[in-house]
Amino acid sequence: MSTKEQSWLERNTFHHSVFWDLIKLVEEKERKGLKISLCIPTLNEEKTIGKEVLILRSELMERYPLVDEFAVIDSGSEDKTLEVAKNYGADVYLASDILPEVGNKRGKGENLWKAIHQLKGDIICYVDADISNIHPRFVYGLVAPLIHRDEVTYVKAFYDRPLNYSSGIRPSGGGRVTEILIRPLFSLFYPELSNVIQPLSGEYAARREVLEQIPFPIGYGVETSHLLDLYEKFGLETFAQTDLDRRVHRNQTTNALGKMSFGILQTFFNRLHAQGKLDRMPDLDTFYRRFEVEDGNYRQLIQEVVEEERPPMIDIEGYRNRQNPS
Amino acid sequence: MPIEQIETESLLSAILQGLPNTIEKIRDMRDSFLTDAVLLGEIPSPTYGEEERIRAVMDRFRENGLKNPMVDEFGNASAHLAGTEGQSSIVVMAHADSVFSPEVRHEIQVGSDTMTGPGIADNALGLAAMISIPRILSELNIKLRDNLILVANVKSLGRANLEGANGFLETMSLPAKAGICIEGSTLGRLSYSGLGTLRGEITLQVPADYDWKRFGAAGAISHLTGLINHIREIPIPKEPKTQLVFGGLKCGSSYNTSPRQGSLRFEITSEGDELIGQVENQLNEICEQFSAETGTHVQMEVVAKRMNCGIPFTHPLVKTTRSIMQQAGTTPKVDPSTGDLNALILGGLPAVTLGLTTVENLRETNETVHLDPLYGGMAQVITLIQAIDQGICEL
Repeated sequence: MSTKEQSWLERNTFHHSVFWDLIKLVEEKERKGLKISLCIPTLNEEKTIGKEVLILRSELMERYPLVDEFAVIDSGSEDKTLEVAKNYGADVYLASDILPEVGNKRGKGENLWKAIHQLKGDIICYVDADISNIHPRFVYGLVAPLIHRDEVTYVKAFYDRPLNYSSGIRPSGGGRVTEILIRPLFSLFYPELSNVIQPLSGEYAARREVLEQIPFPIGYGVETSHLLDLYEKFGLETFAQTDLDRRVHRNQTTNALGKMSFGILQTFFNRLHAQGKLDRMPDLDTFYRRFEVEDGNYRQLIQEVVEEERPPMIDIEGYRNRQNPS
Repeated sequence: MPIEQIETESLLSAILQGLPNTIEKIRDMRDSFLTDAVLLGEIPSPTYGEEERIRAVMDRFRENGLKNPMVDEFGNASAHLAGTEGQSSIVVMAHADSVFSPEVRHEIQVGSDTMTGPGIADNALGLAAMISIPRILSELNIKLRDNLILVANVKSLGRANLEGANGFLETMSLPAKAGICIEGSTLGRLSYSGLGTLRGEITLQVPADYDWKRFGAAGAISHLTGLINHIREIPIPKEPKTQLVFGGLKCGSSYNTSPRQGSLRFEITSEGDELIGQVENQLNEICEQFSAETGTHVQMEVVAKRMNCGIPFTHPLVKTTRSIMQQAGTTPKVDPSTGDLNALILGGLPAVTLGLTTVENLRETNETVHLDPLYGGMAQVITLIQAIDQGICEL
């Protein structure tokens, strides 16, 4: 790993606990004249949305006025998602009602994209609706680096998977798609981006001025595209990431993950194509990059994985001689 | 009618008039204490393992600007809201421990009208309500003359035998004139007496040299069943009201192997202290006899024992509480306590326990509290604090 990457990892990777002092954080936000919008994209999330709205509004709007605007943007839920969210005081919008002149597409990315138009904040924080252990850290941990550091424009969450602790060392805790698809792809094509510990996390905060400059895939590729596009435009230095400890959410079937991977691959190859990397294929990197955390220090583990190949057996003289002794 | 009584009634009447407004104010500011109930309820807090939940309570005490937030030697968290005169104090307690072990997934679901999850009623909601009292008083612009002492007491349930509450009261430095215990369950509950209680555990062990060929030889499950049958033969009188409950049975872990040991948990509650002593003696005799006759080792351990205690139904504190409940549209349901109330009353304080809302599946993992009745339940607590502060709950 280069010195630049190591330095980025040390300077731009945080643990949410360093931002515990919400009074100071609110003061700094107000001193800088920033407005913060919080957006939860939803589709049939009645089981978890009530708690998310209740806790985030109560703690981050009423007790500590960190968030100025709180919106649920829905794709057309058929359960009680909207009723429950309204009951606990969220501003509720149907994605189809926002910018109707551009039409309506159904997908999480659509809601995130339309939030930029609907919401007024200088910083927009996105939080998925299916977090069952929601806590204010899921928001303040992400917006704090943007409040404190002007050069940071996009902050990504990463977490633990609680069952993976072992004697003080824990793995990076990505989901299956992250570990099997994204991390190998980034290691091959965008090695610097593999410093982002959980590239697919659904929680992130960004400045309006960068969000308005990038396209939004409507479906599964939205998180991947953000990283690729912002990296191409602004480089690694503008990213930061925050450890939010533990995130409990529903598990997805392997079939669902397969569909998700297919969508992500489309987004990924579209970017490779647009950036000319498919036509002028670079030498592929042979270093596989992953993470571990020990005593609060984040360390990238780099392992060389060289896929050596043997020629067809028919090309081996010894083999041919044995098969045809005459 | 004596002048003092007329004054008391007019003071009470004035307080009761404010009750509807109190309910509405609490409804308006519900989010903060519902949030506290969820955040506290999601921290596992088994008896003797309450530290993390207590840390969260301390954070809230500090955030709410209370005086002297502290964790005492027993593990209880407490803080003061100073009164304008501060001559006396009112103690408000909510126990911080839960019957659920940390292995249970402590996840609270929030619906439009309900919250569901292990321990939300017993007693995350009670704890959150206790914490929110200073904010509600401030919102209602109520300034108490007395100090308010808020206590999140630990080691309340099961084997702990009210260790936390007893410890707090023994070392409390401020003079107090009354106490209120808050429980999530159930709206309408009015406890002003504590039942005499004996809680114990009987362990049965089949010894290593047990003669499996002897007549009647059996494993621990069969023996425990026989033992239970013997215990059930103890005559339980209707007067004084007495109850024997088997609350837990642990024995065996397979399909095809007779276990060698097991245990039985029980509780005797009675309005007669003498009777509890008699039943305890009978239990000891049964265990001894059973052990001798079956060749097993049977041992009874008493883990908690409390005397009957209480204040009269006619005590001004009880009378005022009933008036408040009636004004709030709640029918008081007299329910003797086996919990923290005993510690307060035995410690010399007139005290009551109030429940906050209606509850389903109490002490199950899908314990559910209804939100709409909760605001009235909270308003009862606030109004009772006002009444105690005004001096109308004293003999």
